[in-house]
Amino acid sequence: MRESLGPPALVVALLVYPFVDRALGLQTVHAVSDGMIYVLLALGLNIVVGYAGLLDLGYAAFFAIGAYAMGLLNSPVLGSPLYGHAWSFWLCIWLAAAVSALLGLVIGAPTLRVRGDYLAIITLGFGEIIPVAIRNLGDVTIEIGTWRPIERLNLTGGENGVNPVGRPVLPGVPFETDPVPWYFLILVVGALSLWAMSRLRDSRLGRAWMAIREDETAADCTGVNPVSTKLLAFALGASFSGFAGSIYAAKLQAITPGAFEFQVSIMLLCMVVLGGAGSLKGVILGGMLITVFDRIVLSQSTFLVRSIGRTVGVPALAAIDLTLWRWFFFGLGLVLVMLLRPQGLAGRRVQPVAADAEGDQPLAPEPSSLPRVEAIPMWLRERMTRAAAQEEAILDVRGVSKAFGGVVALNAVDLVVPRGAIIGLIGPNGAGKTTFFNVVTGLARTDGGRITFAGGSLIGLRPNAIVARGIARTFQSIRLFPYMSVLDNVLVGEHCRLAATVAGAVLRPPAVIAEERRARERARGLLAFVGLSGKDDDLARNLPYGDQRRLEIARALATEPRLLLLDEPTAGMNPRETETLTDLIGLLRRELTLSILLIEHDMEVVMGISDRITVLDYGTRIAEGTPAEIQRHPRVIEAYLGTGYEREPAVPSP
Amino acid sequence: MLELADVHTYYGSIRALRGLSLSVERGEIVTLIGANGAGKTTTLRTILGLVRPRHGTVSFNGARLDALSTDRIVRLGIAQSPEGRHIFPRMSVLENLELGAFVRSDRDGIAPDLERVFALFPRLRERVSQKGGTLSGGEQQMLAISRALMARPGLLLLDEPSMGLSPILVETIFRIIQDINRQGTTILLVEQNARMALRVAHRGYVIQTGRIVLHDAAATLLRSDLVRKTYLGEK
Repeated sequence: MRESLGPPALVVALLVYPFVDRALGLQTVHAVSDGMIYVLLALGLNIVVGYAGLLDLGYAAFFAIGAYAMGLLNSPVLGSPLYGHAWSFWLCIWLAAAVSALLGLVIGAPTLRVRGDYLAIITLGFGEIIPVAIRNLGDVTIEIGTWRPIERLNLTGGENGVNPVGRPVLPGVPFETDPVPWYFLILVVGALSLWAMSRLRDSRLGRAWMAIREDETAADCTGVNPVSTKLLAFALGASFSGFAGSIYAAKLQAITPGAFEFQVSIMLLCMVVLGGAGSLKGVILGGMLITVFDRIVLSQSTFLVRSIGRTVGVPALAAIDLTLWRWFFFGLGLVLVMLLRPQGLAGRRVQPVAADAEGDQPLAPEPSSLPRVEAIPMWLRERMTRAAAQEEAILDVRGVSKAFGGVVALNAVDLVVPRGAIIGLIGPNGAGKTTFFNVVTGLARTDGGRITFAGGSLIGLRPNAIVARGIARTFQSIRLFPYMSVLDNVLVGEHCRLAATVAGAVLRPPAVIAEERRARERARGLLAFVGLSGKDDDLARNLPYGDQRRLEIARALATEPRLLLLDEPTAGMNPRETETLTDLIGLLRRELTLSILLIEHDMEVVMGISDRITVLDYGTRIAEGTPAEIQRHPRVIEAYLGTGYEREPAVPSP
Repeated sequence: MLELADVHTYYGSIRALRGLSLSVERGEIVTLIGANGAGKTTTLRTILGLVRPRHGTVSFNGARLDALSTDRIVRLGIAQSPEGRHIFPRMSVLENLELGAFVRSDRDGIAPDLERVFALFPRLRERVSQKGGTLSGGEQQMLAISRALMARPGLLLLDEPSMGLSPILVETIFRIIQDINRQGTTILLVEQNARMALRVAHRGYVIQTGRIVLHDAAATLLRSDLVRKTYLGEK
């Protein structure tokens, strides 16, 4: 995942560029500096779109807020109580970022309930509202009866905008019409932002964003709080546009609402998509390509095409203005990129393995070795032994019901998991087994009943809070984070046990470095334990089916659970893989006193390792007992086992 | 009826099928068994034109399939019940089934076939107006098989039909597979449950790392050492 921030040659090139430009008389520094502001904006947008996977079509609104925060605080002309004070540029730039971040939270909050298309539409609306509001707040009068508390207040400058805006003051550096000081200011801010972003990406917060992008439900069930994670992405993404906007305002010396229209949001999105969403290098590349093309190539080639037109005598060419064609070229470029390289110019090329749900992977796995006691990570063992509570029942479910519309999925179900027990949950398809898991893990709300875990009620808790209490699960149809590495998948599991904050992730004090190193060691230990050593950097989706199942278990163990819910862990496995997994489950219980609730259709597995079994049919518990009792239970045979089961070789209970 | 000859299929640079040949005759149940990652699903994807073989030919009733688009192949009379079900989650059970019959021109035959799949899977009749995505995993499996049957295919491809089903339903599914076959549908069955698959199949192929390593009458395979040790889990 790590990208270097550029070889030294690039740094030197960036440092000498303005002087070379001046020596050659090219006069491109202005355009390049402006371009860098847009690159910074695109990088901020990349946090929201590329990392957290939230499509934002109105990002220019945050750009506007940053610019106006600077303009309103730092312009000497307007007449509000805030104006006219000599606010320092260096203070305003932070205030602008803070205001943008705050608005990011305000905008983010209502959009969190919606996803995908709906989220995009809401951000689109927001992107339209801000410029309109700015236009209309240039002449505000509030009238209550005859009382006019506010009369003809010019809050934003309206259509005329704010002009001039105060310049930065730095002894010895003239921030005037010469673009070079601006260039270096933007370069420094940009480099610092990039540094902060790359550190955020490689922290627990960056992993949480990507987990949300990959599979929000699975992330929630792995201990990542989707609400705070998405809000953080919105706020941080907005704060970078606050920096960009405030520099833009001060550099241009004038801001008007027209600079923050919908097209700007789309251009920024183009930069991200062209370069490769989620890749810092790619977004920089995409941003530079588009701005250089827009600001330099189009205007220069206009002259060229005109002179060609004059020479060959085509009047249409002789009078052309290519800059008016910019959206045509952007559109064309975007179409070509989507067709030829949908992952973006610098996006990681993903091997076209069979579609997501296909278990059939091209490289056959070696027969997996049996799990070994010695391979259990020491820290996990210590954690488990320490956590082993005194209470007899770790999970106590009483009278839980759940209906979807008119269909009763669970009907007053009781189920107890004693500490350190393996409890089987079986029943016909559609009997409510997975619904039971969903209710216990907080994915579905109960309609009634009690769920107590380690003495505390779980009713009303969000899935990630339940994970933090100590319940982890796997899914019937594997739900990994497919485009994240194997190691990162496990690290997301550790998320709720790690503490690094935004400041910690960026500044990396020793405590955070140590925490991160420990987290990686633990993740590698867990991977070794489930038999996935040496695959740290593989994408999860490229693993063979059986390995994916084991990775999901490693991820669940990384949350340090006391109760593990396994939903058909051996589905789609061959007998040998099934045997390995069964041994692994037994080992977890025996060595770690981990309590396990198991949904499984492979009767050899269920009968072989369960202490007790609960049978559901049509949402109702029809039987509960030891494997031997269940095997003879007439209702279970009728509804579930069938008569053929007796023909299979019986496996004695341990 | 179906013939794959020396088929090589690649995913990028990874060879998934390495010269695979197999045939299915009209009226047969043929099963393809093998470990995860051996190339079973890739074989089905190649037949359906979802991936193109780089070498080799796929033909169906004498017509070459390897240059046709998937929808054309389906119209020739091949239907699949995919692994992982891939039902249409926001459409009702009935709409899912009706879409299965999308390629058919015999309007009159559709209603009796709907009755036929409801007779096979009474649970689907109970849920007929429910959205596909709200069904349990096993019910979705039934729906996927039924949807394929609604196309009245000459050749039915089943990818892990027993996955995620209760023991009693596994038996039912395999009985239904035999019923469907007796009613005239040829079946290519990919299964993890080798024991059951070989019990209902006429012939079987064993696939390892993209090649057929063994093929014989199903009853013979059930007794072979390789199959018993590797795929039936016997010691």
